[in-house]
Amino acid sequence: MHISDGVLPLSVTIGGYAAGAVLTAWSARRTRSQDLPKVAVVTAAFFVASLVHIPFGPTSAHLLLPGLAGALLGPVAFLAIGLGLLLQSLLFQFGGLTALGANSLMMGLPAMVCGWFFQTFKGRTSFRQAIVGGLSGAFGTILAAVILAVLLVTGGEDFFGVAKIALAAHVPVIIIEGIVSAFTIGFLFRVKPALLEPSFVKPVKSVHV
Amino acid sequence: MTFIPKGIVMGVLCLFLMGLPVSLRAETPGQEDVQEMMTLLRENNSKLSGDLRRIQREIAALRADLDKPGMKDVFAGIGYIFGLFGAAAFVAARRRE
Repeated sequence: MHISDGVLPLSVTIGGYAAGAVLTAWSARRTRSQDLPKVAVVTAAFFVASLVHIPFGPTSAHLLLPGLAGALLGPVAFLAIGLGLLLQSLLFQFGGLTALGANSLMMGLPAMVCGWFFQTFKGRTSFRQAIVGGLSGAFGTILAAVILAVLLVTGGEDFFGVAKIALAAHVPVIIIEGIVSAFTIGFLFRVKPALLEPSFVKPVKSVHV
Repeated sequence: MTFIPKGIVMGVLCLFLMGLPVSLRAETPGQEDVQEMMTLLRENNSKLSGDLRRIQREIAALRADLDKPGMKDVFAGIGYIFGLFGAAAFVAARRRE
């Protein structure tokens, strides 16, 4: 689920870059310096997860993990995803460089929504956290497919057609991603629950980056 | 324009030379020898073309593999990520002092 070069019109490309830059700067400003290692690890996981291909009939889709990144990082996930996508497009040729802004919006906005969803509904038990984490993992992918359709509409495609294709192609990814997120969050809750606390500060007092 | 007659002359010569072994072959080797040689040649040919097809397939597979990101790219990316965040942590730590 990456947009390639030359698919989007120029205005959307520039708008995507502007919005992506603003959101990246905003989430970077609000990262606590002691959370930097955690952000780095999640970024690396997000970067590598795109290489895990799931064979599905004639095609294969790969893991996206916006939901998991969002659940772990909250709004800071936008910074992680922007950096991960930049390196993916430079090293793996996934998605074009000119579409990087739109791609980061496509993955970053679901991550932020999922982060909010996870932090709001996570509860206190391990089981509930795992379930909510799995739901946010699945929901993140669905939301990314919907945003992909919205962005492609600006390129002159039919919204429901694109949305249907994108969702149908990612049904196995949605399921697997939900399972992966649920297991990851359940495991993290048992071994290191501190990782699941929101790494996001409202006041700008203790900000260093 | 002077090449055309030259070409015709060459062609006639070639035809003559090609005709010569045919007439010779008709006289000297036996029919079964020719048959044997033909089957040998045919076998050889089919074997070679099979080999060639396999090699072409291998080249196509190699090219597809080259397009895929390899281990090198993965580690390069992870290194970039950790390096960038390390630099950020360094800046943050210095600013806090």
